Amino acid sequence: MAPLLELEGIGKTYPGVRALDGVSLHLDRGEILGLIGENGAGKSTLMKVLGGVVPPSEGTLRIDGQVQESWDVPAATRAGIAFVHQELSLFDNLDVAGNVLFGREPLRGGLLRLVDRRATREKVAPILQRLGADFTPDTPVAELSIAQRQLVEIARALAAEARIIILDEPTSSLTLSETARLLTVVKELRADGVGLIYITHRLGEIVDCADRVVCLRDGKMVGALRREDIAHGTMIRLMIGRELRSLYAPPANPPGEGGLAVRGLVTTAFPGSAVDLHIRPGEILGLAGLVGAGRTSLARTLFGIDLPLAGEVRLDGKPLTLRGPRDAVAAGIYLAPEDRKKAGLVLDMPITENVTLASAPDYTRGGLMVHRLERSAAEKQRQGLRIKAPNCSVRAGTLSGGNQQKVVLGKWLSMAPRVILFDEPTRGIDVGAKGEIYALMRALSDRGVAILMISSDMEEVLGVSDRIVVMHEGRISGGLDRAGFSEQAVLRLAIGSRHEAEEAHA
Amino acid sequence: MQRRSLLAAPAAIALASWPRMGAAQEKRSLAFVVNVSADFWTICRRGIEKANREHPDFAMEMIVPGQASAAEQRRIIDELLARKVAGIAISPINPANSTETLNRVASQAILFTSDSDAPNSNRLVYIGTDNVAAGREAGKQMKKALPQGGKAMLFVGTMDADNARERVQGIREELQGSEINIIDIRTDESDIARAKRNVEDTLARYSDINLLTGLWAYNTPQIYQAVKGAGREGKVKIVGFDEDALTLRGIADGTIESTVVQQPFEFGYQSMVGMVKVLNGDKSFIPANKQIIIPTRIIDKSNVADFQKQMRDLLRGA
Amino acid sequence: MSKKELGLALLLVVIGGITAALNPLFLSGVNLLNMANLIGLFGIFAIGQGLIIITGGIDLSVGSMFALLGVVLVDLLVNFELFWPLAVLATIGIGLALGLLHGLLVTRLKLQPFVVTLCGLLIYRGIARYYTQDSTSGFGYAGDIDTVSWLASGRSFGIPNPFIIMVVVAIIMAVVLHRTVFGRYLYAVGRNEEAARHSGINTDAVITGAYLLGGALAGLAGVLLVFYTSSVSPSSFGSFYELYAIAAAVLGGCSLRGGEGSILGIVLGTVLLQILQNLVNILGIPSSLNFAVMGGVILLGVIADQQLGQRKQRIQLSRAQGHAPAE
Repeated sequence: MAPLLELEGIGKTYPGVRALDGVSLHLDRGEILGLIGENGAGKSTLMKVLGGVVPPSEGTLRIDGQVQESWDVPAATRAGIAFVHQELSLFDNLDVAGNVLFGREPLRGGLLRLVDRRATREKVAPILQRLGADFTPDTPVAELSIAQRQLVEIARALAAEARIIILDEPTSSLTLSETARLLTVVKELRADGVGLIYITHRLGEIVDCADRVVCLRDGKMVGALRREDIAHGTMIRLMIGRELRSLYAPPANPPGEGGLAVRGLVTTAFPGSAVDLHIRPGEILGLAGLVGAGRTSLARTLFGIDLPLAGEVRLDGKPLTLRGPRDAVAAGIYLAPEDRKKAGLVLDMPITENVTLASAPDYTRGGLMVHRLERSAAEKQRQGLRIKAPNCSVRAGTLSGGNQQKVVLGKWLSMAPRVILFDEPTRGIDVGAKGEIYALMRALSDRGVAILMISSDMEEVLGVSDRIVVMHEGRISGGLDRAGFSEQAVLRLAIGSRHEAEEAHA
Repeated sequence: MQRRSLLAAPAAIALASWPRMGAAQEKRSLAFVVNVSADFWTICRRGIEKANREHPDFAMEMIVPGQASAAEQRRIIDELLARKVAGIAISPINPANSTETLNRVASQAILFTSDSDAPNSNRLVYIGTDNVAAGREAGKQMKKALPQGGKAMLFVGTMDADNARERVQGIREELQGSEINIIDIRTDESDIARAKRNVEDTLARYSDINLLTGLWAYNTPQIYQAVKGAGREGKVKIVGFDEDALTLRGIADGTIESTVVQQPFEFGYQSMVGMVKVLNGDKSFIPANKQIIIPTRIIDKSNVADFQKQMRDLLRGA
Repeated sequence: MSKKELGLALLLVVIGGITAALNPLFLSGVNLLNMANLIGLFGIFAIGQGLIIITGGIDLSVGSMFALLGVVLVDLLVNFELFWPLAVLATIGIGLALGLLHGLLVTRLKLQPFVVTLCGLLIYRGIARYYTQDSTSGFGYAGDIDTVSWLASGRSFGIPNPFIIMVVVAIIMAVVLHRTVFGRYLYAVGRNEEAARHSGINTDAVITGAYLLGGALAGLAGVLLVFYTSSVSPSSFGSFYELYAIAAAVLGGCSLRGGEGSILGIVLGTVLLQILQNLVNILGIPSSLNFAVMGGVILLGVIADQQLGQRKQRIQLSRAQGHAPAE
């Protein structure tokens, strides 16, 4: 039988750029094909070609062995290709069923074209059941977590009777347990005969589920791995063409005294739970937990964005009053937020102005800003952090994710950091740049900065932290020393208490 | 049913009692709807006040629309009719196209027009200036200012107002055969600052302009200021309409030749008294052509001092 | 001078050149001075509007504020016979207070600037009309106001005072916007308020500051406008002037999304608007076409700017793709 999907010699040339160069791959029924590659390797272009959004410059595309002559979006839809996107594309204001059947609503009332809401629900309910969803067709999407929304996207693909589902970074916003559940769903789909292309930066997931792996680099297919060869090392070597050194770099000195001590802090997200936490200077404290466990809320409270309901925060033994980010910044507590583009950077401003944004008054003489001082400060950060940009007047928005994160860091490093709170420091950043961010964090901690790293990436939590604390439903459910690090231990603490309770009931 | 009428009864009483409250106290209301806010109408208000003092058993009011638009006036009329006023005197903004609205008023209340007429409507009478005649008066003044003839420019808010058109018509009729040549009419859409810039631009563009005429009350003072600003007093003559304080000041200091004034006090007074008469069954004062023309006056250097004093008293609220 | 301002200046030269070619009187001293006077009057409050637009806000209440401030000023001078510096200060003070009110409503109660100032537009106009019972107030019967009248509408060294005042305001505001920390914060808040707050900036104070400045400048412009016309009819005085200010700011490169614009651009935008109005009179185009000419040129300007911007983006994009293929 002919493969479900076959690409042969696909090339795509933009003016002056060779985005894809002779890419060939095939996908069978009931197979999960892992597609890896660094940012900019050509994965997205390839997927756009597959979806019919972008016509290839050359090459052939076959579905069930049939050469497709005119390939566009409707043709791709007819062929049963569906996407589950990195950026969720759901309508917040509709319910689940409305989203799943959007554009294919069962109608009634003849010319009036009324949406038959009952038929919609009846059609969607079995799909949700198959995916093991814990929500109903008439739940408003606005009320769903990111993981649940991802399921809605998959349900949408299933409702369209997709035979080929392309998952583009599906887990970048998911927590550990949610990722596990998604992988289960993916495997079930495979068992049903669906062909899946799985794109991710999280290599652990590929190891877990992929039957085969292909790797793109600079628009070319640089290698394929069979099931038995799939491992972190082999994949990373394919992606970056070299060995990546181990994530963990031990601290230069033992952790110091003082730092940020949190006692009985109650955040608005969990009015019933108090948090105790101690981030010591010279150590990287990993903070793991499910999305919604209260980690981001804790970071926001420590940075003064949300006001605490109770509790005290001490920095080097002195109590702090945090009424706003201004107070936190003044005390030397900085936040590298999860959503860099929204809260970390002013994308339309050049690197220089982003670096000096939080300390602008330091660059004034007689009340006026001195651009020369600003530029030299920013230049220092650009070189120190190795920000890839020709100069500091480049707008922050044009930089890659890793370099944007470095600009956020540059903003804080140009000041006097005492505590830096990293919220998902490497989300959306490719493998090579991740390593650099980790090295920077370590360098900072060796300078005596206390570092809190919130992360949902298991490799990151285990590989970078000196110590891990895990949050569950607004409280610290436990802590682990480096000796006790393991995936199981973290997961148990992240979901543990509820798990045990359920087991006790059963 | 029982329940519903019980609920409806108080509401019905409340609704019905609004207009009738006046009736119970024998205080019927009469309204004077003007077109735009101006000192002109403040003087008219004094006339209305005088009429009200003479007929205290009526509630008389003057209503100024927020914008000088026919739509706004219509909204006001609808509200007045809903309040069941006994009579409305109005200066219609767009009389030619408001016939229907005006006739609706005429069918439910007494309708007078004032200041600007709507001859096609069922209004009982028009009390006001004959604007064509007023235009002719202004034309005479223009000829007097420029006996040798010359170039003139007219300034007005908008030309879609009948009084503007009629005044222009009167001026043109009067100037027919004379040596005075009207180059253009500049409009400002009631933006006073633009009224002034129109004059400034005219002075800049036509170095040989001889005469400027402002058709609306605020135009003449802006002409006066712009001419003074350009230092062309005396070289450029000014003839105006209406009695803005600055216009009168300009006449006093000789910059403005003369102004044609209407008698808005009489508009207000006679409209109100007339409506009272009609309500009392007396229509004898209405002439056959249904127009009571209040003559215009010419204010020039000879009589400006007295007139200024008179105006100040009226505006201060005598 | 950025490219945007250069383009606008070029447009000014082209339109001015065409007008002058059709009627050389356009460049006559008298006409230029008249225009300078109006540029001064409109430029001052356009700058205030621009500052507010840069924070991502808008002030629709300017025109109504003029009516209210105008009748108050005339009343203070004519009826209360207040010493003129006090009357002028009181007027600007009211502008400042209204600006503060807008700022607080926007930042504290999180109301949308459009809604807050739309209500202002209605309320101030209404108060002005009620206050004067709809009658026009003017200096017709006023006594000794010669000094202030000269200051506000006279000339120094042959140049209209409003223009001089506007130039001074523009220089001060250019320094404030382009050289001070507050100015930097204005841009940052306009472009990304959340990131600014995350950088420890008191964004509420910055936004309120912009409205405060906008209110004060509107107060100043209001005083000058009153002396320009010498009379204030509360129902029409300043009507639509907020739109002139917004148009000038947008022409001058301010984005209604906030975070963009410069003082020079706003001033050039005002100049262009005034030239457009002037050329209607100078070329003898029917007055009725005034607005149409203005709207047409603004539209053309904005379209040209947009197209140039997109071209620039495309070029940047293809360069970026040359740098890192795909994605």
